[in-house]
Amino acid sequence: MIVDSLTIDASTFASETGWEAKPEGMCKGPECVLLPEGARTGDGCLNLDVVAERLRMPLVEDADSGVWAVGPRGDGPALESALAPELTLPDANGNPFSLSSLHGRKVLLVAWASW
Amino acid sequence: MWQDLHAQLESKGVTVVTVALDVNTNDALPWIEAAAPTHPSLIDNGHVTDKLFGFDNVPMAVWIDETGRLVRPAEQASIEPSKPLPTLPDEAPERLHKTFAELALFRGDAEGYLAAILDWAEHGAESKFALSEAEVVTRTGERPPEHARAAACFELGQWHWANGRPDAAVPWWREAHRLQPENWTYKRQAWTFVTTQEGQPPDLLQGPNDVYEGNWLDDLIAQGGGATYYTPPDL
Repeated sequence: MIVDSLTIDASTFASETGWEAKPEGMCKGPECVLLPEGARTGDGCLNLDVVAERLRMPLVEDADSGVWAVGPRGDGPALESALAPELTLPDANGNPFSLSSLHGRKVLLVAWASW
Repeated sequence: MWQDLHAQLESKGVTVVTVALDVNTNDALPWIEAAAPTHPSLIDNGHVTDKLFGFDNVPMAVWIDETGRLVRPAEQASIEPSKPLPTLPDEAPERLHKTFAELALFRGDAEGYLAAILDWAEHGAESKFALSEAEVVTRTGERPPEHARAAACFELGQWHWANGRPDAAVPWWREAHRLQPENWTYKRQAWTFVTTQEGQPPDLLQGPNDVYEGNWLDDLIAQGGGATYYTPPDL
């Protein structure tokens, strides 16, 4: 996730990472992580530097461009559960396709590349 | 290849979804057009499936069951045995001989993997190849902090590249390579932009260049050689 501000709307953060801001903390599935004071701005936004540190997500600044990249959670299991993460990618015509649309079927997801 | 498998298994409730790990969509399109897929054929400009599933090379795959759960984690996914390598003439460049020597060491189990897919298509959750949730999580393993940071750095590079600043992408991709040297998708994606000539097919050998410290052959040898490039699926 690329952002140009360290204040981020909680719903945006949830849609990008799967971590929802709830009264008890940041939650994803059954797991909740308590937030320290200062993590919330009070207007439905989160202080990204505080939240990312608590969730062990790297926040990498590109100072020349004024943006940050938020990486995936590190220093723990690469998969928190076997539930397949939601994935929406474009097809060759640019039309978005969501993996969840195949619910009810078996899916063999294969990565390849031109290089 | 994948289109044939999809056609074979579609009536058994299996959908093949292919994902091209290509920052540049136009690099993937000719291959997709040639395959004429009837299955979902997607393009992952940001290599987000690397961090979501743990892909670090291609071809790799995951299996997802009808309830949306992974039943096999990211693993090598070849379903056709490699073709024998041609014999090089003695006068071929020494570097090419070295490359072929490493290619000859590649490991795989295409026949076993294909048989496993067919078994899963037939027996679903009862297939011995469909793993438990705990096994999927265990096999996927840990994500060290440096790998998480590598993903963020790769994304910054991709963001610059997509916004018409390929030179600005380079330092971020170099950092991603340093942080996660075993991720071949980060490396090969970046190298192809500096070793492939304009208008030419992709340079798959990705030799020494002036932009990145590494290159395919020397990095492969440094990381253990051709026998380590692919890990056959643990069936």
